[in-house]
This record gives sequence, structure tokens and C-alpha cells, in this order.
Amino acid sequence: MVKSYIPSSLGEALAIRAQESVIPYGGGTDLMIEAPDDASYLFVGKIPDIRKIAEEGEIIRIGAACTFTEITESSLAPDLLKEAVSRIGGPAIRNLGTVGGNIGNGSPKADSALIFFVTDSSLRLISNQGERILPVRDFYLGRKQTALRSDELIAEVLMPRTGLENYYYKKIGARNAQAISRVSFAALMNMSGGRIENCAAAFGAVSDVVIRRNDIDAMLTGKTIAEARALKASYLEQYDRAIVPITGRISAEYRKAVCMNLLRDFLESNGI
Amino acid sequence: MKFTLNGNGVEYTGALNARLLDVLRDEYRLTGVKCACKEGECGACSVIMDGRLINSCMVAMGRAAGSDIVTIEGYSKTDRFAVLDNAYASVSAVQCGYCIPGMILASECILAKNPHPTEDEIREGISGNLCRCTGYNAIVHAIQIASKEGSGLW
Repeated sequence: MVKSYIPSSLGEALAIRAQESVIPYGGGTDLMIEAPDDASYLFVGKIPDIRKIAEEGEIIRIGAACTFTEITESSLAPDLLKEAVSRIGGPAIRNLGTVGGNIGNGSPKADSALIFFVTDSSLRLISNQGERILPVRDFYLGRKQTALRSDELIAEVLMPRTGLENYYYKKIGARNAQAISRVSFAALMNMSGGRIENCAAAFGAVSDVVIRRNDIDAMLTGKTIAEARALKASYLEQYDRAIVPITGRISAEYRKAVCMNLLRDFLESNGI
Repeated sequence: MKFTLNGNGVEYTGALNARLLDVLRDEYRLTGVKCACKEGECGACSVIMDGRLINSCMVAMGRAAGSDIVTIEGYSKTDRFAVLDNAYASVSAVQCGYCIPGMILASECILAKNPHPTEDEIREGISGNLCRCTGYNAIVHAIQIASKEGSGLW
């Protein structure tokens, strides 16, 4: 049966989600592109409980229904996230689109999801039965496939607050505005006492799921810049094997070349 | 479901998954809201919802519940519109006109946020509104003129 719901509270939304076959609707900017006439939506975009941005210890909690504009205007949101979401669509899209929708859509091109991958953020998923915290990388099972159960909603993104200052971000699109990423790349390099404390890289719009390889990045952990330089060729070679792009509107070869150029530029910008 | 449309409270009883764009045009006969790409790319269907520019093709009616929506028909009765109207006319910023209802509402949102925007801020503000006559320079100029002539209005 085609029926849509406008719950006024999170409890009401979860009760409907548990009983009906509905598509959670945040801002609609992905859903409305190919919206079938018989779509049944659960409109969660105005539920106050999932529209907040708050700091808690080492974590920033970002409500799933926060729009990209609200994140850009927030004094709490990290600059890396602000930069990425400010490049999504145009103002009218950013005024509607939400982080929960960006993630829930399951696309490897989601510009906010890339940032949640590179920062090893988690998601708080809730249902009538309770809640679970899932790392973003475990949420994505494949292209347009996520671990979200039919009775669950994405409530919040739990993002680390620290270690985000020295970031590198590039979105490659066909235009400055209104562009869907052809390749997107985000990376972090944190130094402590002259050694690399954390090196993290993530590649969006390349494969079925954002590519995030903590195991490869780990080879630089604890190294000095000089030591990292000695490992550079091996690090790049491992990523060269790990990145297997898909061909869409643009070729796999192009995507691969751009990924490797960006990765190399990230290392070189940090003296490696 | 209730919402405010150009200052008037309305009660909508149709499908909640219908597009705001279609409902505005077909049910409320507000044909200043233009339909072009229907996929959030072009901005011709822009309206202001709760003070923010949005693409009405990207909104299902359920999302508009309780919202305050202003279309070009409502906006054209304001003093601010009169300033923008004169400014656009003074530099011939309107060619075919199809993008203009959305462009005017984007102009309003730029000036409401910042009454004296830089050129970069203006270009950013209209970056989701495509003009296929490519008359962007005149439009940017018109917004600069409106910012000056309408001093105190925004």
C-alpha cells in the first residue's frame, strides 16, 4: 500500500519503521531523482532529536537529519567536513540534503561519507529494539547496499573531533558547482614527537564502496618523515594494487591515474 | 497536511509523495515555478522554504508539511522584489526569462544572508541556478546594483 508518514517524534518514527515498509526520507535530494509514483516515505527530516550537532568528549555527534548547509554554518563541525559538504551540488541542494540521506543512499560518491571513512567515524543506528554503533566502513556492504535493517534509522554520525587539522581534500568534478564527484580524495597526517601518529587516506567515487585501507596506512605509523620517504614507493605500490576502479561515465584508467596522483601529492605535501 | 504558501495557510490533502514542483504548478497554478531538469541540477523550480532556497522538484509534499513556502508570485508583491526587478531591467539581465523566477529568489536569499555580498559570494549564491542564455555577468551585476539601491531593505 502506498502511504507516507510525517512522524512528529523519533519514537513515532521508529514505531512506523518497525511496522511498515517505508523509505526513510531526509532531504530527498537523492530519492526524488528517480522517485517512483508508489513510493512510501517516512519523513524524518524535521525530527528534532536527529537534527542536532553536539560535542561530547572526543566525539562530535552529527544528527542524521542535519543538512549540509547547517553543517557548513555550525561552529562545531570540523573544517574538513565543512569543506567537503560545501562542494555538494549548489546552495538549494545543500539546504535540503542531509548527512543521513547521503550515507543511507549507499553511494560511493557521497561526499560526506568520504570524510566519515577517512576519520573512521561510526554511525548510531536505532530501532524499537534499541541501538547499535557501527563503524561507517561496516555499514557499506556494496554499491547501494547497506547494513541498515528494515526497522532501523540512522540517528547520528559519531565523528572524532581531534587529529583532523592537517587534512588534504580534493574533489574532482566536471564543474565547480553542481558536480557529482568523479574522484574524491581525503587524507589525514598527524605527527607526534617527530613521528607519524596517524596516516589515513580514503578514495570516493572510484569503486562500489569508498576505499579505506587502514592496513596499508599502518605501514607509515610510528615512522619519521625520513623513514616514511624510504617506504613511499612500497606504500604507493600497495595502493596501486588496492585501487580497482569501476568504469562509469569516465574510464577506470582515468580514475586510477587521478587517485594515484592525489595520493602522491598528499605525501609530497607532507614532505614524504 | 498544512503549510504556508505565499503568506496564506493552506491545507493539502493530496499524496505526500507528490513533488512540490508539480503541486505548486498543477494544483495551486503557480506557474512562475518553472519545470526544466526535474533532477535538482538547474534551479528553474527554485522556491524559498523556511527562509532557504530549495529546488521544488527535489521535495516531496510530506517534507513541506508545516513549512513556509514563498514562490515568485508571492515574492513579486514585496518591496525587495521591486528593487531586484528594476536592477535586472537596468542591465538587461533577462533574456529568455526561464531561469529568472529561480534567479530572483536566489538573489533574495543571497541578499537576505548578506546585504552587501562580494562578487564571489554572489556567484556562489547563484551557482545552482543555470542560465542557458549564459547571461551570468549581467545577473551578477544586477544583484550588485540591487544591493546598493536597496540599501536598508535587506
